[in-house]
Amino acid sequence: MSSQCTGNYTGKAPAVWPAKVNQIPKEVFGDAALFEEELKTIFYGDCWHIVGHFAEVPNVGDFKTFDLGRVPLLISRGKNNQVRVFYNTCTHRGNQLEVATSGNRKEFECPYHRWLFSLEGALTACPGSKEFAPDFKQENFGLMEVKSAQFMGLIFVTMGKNTPPLTEWLGEIVPPTLSTLLGGDGRLKLLGYQKVRYDSNWKGYNDNDGYHAPMLHTAFRLLNWQGGTTGFQRMTKNGHVVFEAELKAIQNNGFVNDPSLVEFKGSDPARGSRIVQLFPATVMVKHLDIINLRFAIARSHDVTEVHYAYFAHEDDSEELVQHRIRQGSNLLGPCGMISMEDAAIFQRIHIGNQTPGFAEFQKGVTSLMEVPMDVKQNDETGNLPRWEHYRKVMGFKREGEK
Amino acid sequence: MSSPSLLSSQSTASRKDKSSAMVPDDFMWQGYSALETQWRVERLLSRYVACIDDDNLEEWPSFFTQDACSYEIITRENVERGLPLTLVFCTSQGMLADRIVSLREANIYPQRWYRHIVSNVLIQAVAEDHLEVQSHYVVLQTRRNGQTSIFSAGKYKDRIVLQADELRFAEKRVVVDTHSIDTLLVSPI
Repeated sequence: MSSQCTGNYTGKAPAVWPAKVNQIPKEVFGDAALFEEELKTIFYGDCWHIVGHFAEVPNVGDFKTFDLGRVPLLISRGKNNQVRVFYNTCTHRGNQLEVATSGNRKEFECPYHRWLFSLEGALTACPGSKEFAPDFKQENFGLMEVKSAQFMGLIFVTMGKNTPPLTEWLGEIVPPTLSTLLGGDGRLKLLGYQKVRYDSNWKGYNDNDGYHAPMLHTAFRLLNWQGGTTGFQRMTKNGHVVFEAELKAIQNNGFVNDPSLVEFKGSDPARGSRIVQLFPATVMVKHLDIINLRFAIARSHDVTEVHYAYFAHEDDSEELVQHRIRQGSNLLGPCGMISMEDAAIFQRIHIGNQTPGFAEFQKGVTSLMEVPMDVKQNDETGNLPRWEHYRKVMGFKREGEK
Repeated sequence: MSSPSLLSSQSTASRKDKSSAMVPDDFMWQGYSALETQWRVERLLSRYVACIDDDNLEEWPSFFTQDACSYEIITRENVERGLPLTLVFCTSQGMLADRIVSLREANIYPQRWYRHIVSNVLIQAVAEDHLEVQSHYVVLQTRRNGQTSIFSAGKYKDRIVLQADELRFAEKRVVVDTHSIDTLLVSPI
């Protein structure tokens, strides 16, 4: 029997959410006006956002540009090896300072009027300054720095005034798994990027769950990828999810002609699969020997750009580096033969949710009124604390809530 | 300060290419004249892209040498930065076949058609047992809604040998200008 449609689709996200914690109003994915509110409240607000890793700028003078929402950032490694994050704008008339996505500079030059900035952000030259406004002081016109913090080389930024300290933001659950994911100490070596543009809202991109993996990804099943039941999902109240799963030796049930690709050469097969998802939009994984950080940019309500960055560890043997390159180049990401389905799902989530009603979580739901904090490996309820945090941050009420 | 680049300021060395190199007009290779070699190379490329665009993907691995071969799709961005990670990296016919099995049996992706346009076929080096050939490609993508867009632009860097009376790819390196992938990449380029 078909089900009854319970409401009209307005396209506008409702201010009041249902009392049931497993129901997400579908309009939150497709509402362009809501995206503008999310930029203000989340992306430019009191949250930490991951914009890179030190290993992307390993040498003095290395830089990387990135965007936080629509705000252009410039990440620079200065002479004392300190990595700083600046707004990527000349302090004179607001010209975009650096246009390359990465590179190495001795200084940053704005071509418009040849203002020159050091790697540390100081304004070192500004032609014709004798005729500048009477209150001009060169030392007041260094690059604007964005508040940043780091965890094992992961670079976090925040534009909010009341963002809690990073250690508080990460909480206790995240650091152990995150540090293992980052090779134990964060001494990583960049192997390269796969960049992709998804026709999807950032929340759809970020809503993958423990239930889907063995269902959607046929290759996981064919390879017996996610055996074991000793894995776990743990969540924080502020929307982070940590996932660890046992990785039994992969059985090649005749699926692959060249099984060397899916060998596991790492040191912790009991926990071969690790995922850390940090609110709002960052996903980081270590599967088999792949270390993959996914730097996401919420471009608009219907476009999310993700830079899949792959890493080796600085102490790896050359053989292990080559192995990581082979696995990273074939298995995960937008071209990976065992999980590219995710990309198709992100798009279908986006299109399919422009209909009346709710996206409704089921697997693992034990109470309709309480956000679950105790979740099993293959439940989808691990995402509900994140939705709850999102709801509160955005100021949506629940039915019956005052 | 170095000259501006689309991607990076440090890549002058790695950007240098042999694309302007000339081979003599009158070379002989494996008993073929220069003209006939050029024609055979172009026919190989035409058959290769027809195989993909006509969805005869099970035959795709047979365009490569049997014993050892290399097929790689890498972004120009990674190449210019000296970064080794690729989008697809196969080092045997078995791995090529695995890609197709995965595409047919396991992967879920939106239905769409590819249309390859290959041009500027340039033999850049003639060795006794192989040719080095560069060509340009564009892949047009037509989605289910009937709209066509450019999915990927780039170049092929091929090492071509004669095996069992057929030209085959011992190495095919696809260097992709379009490093921002539209959703996903499942079919070979």
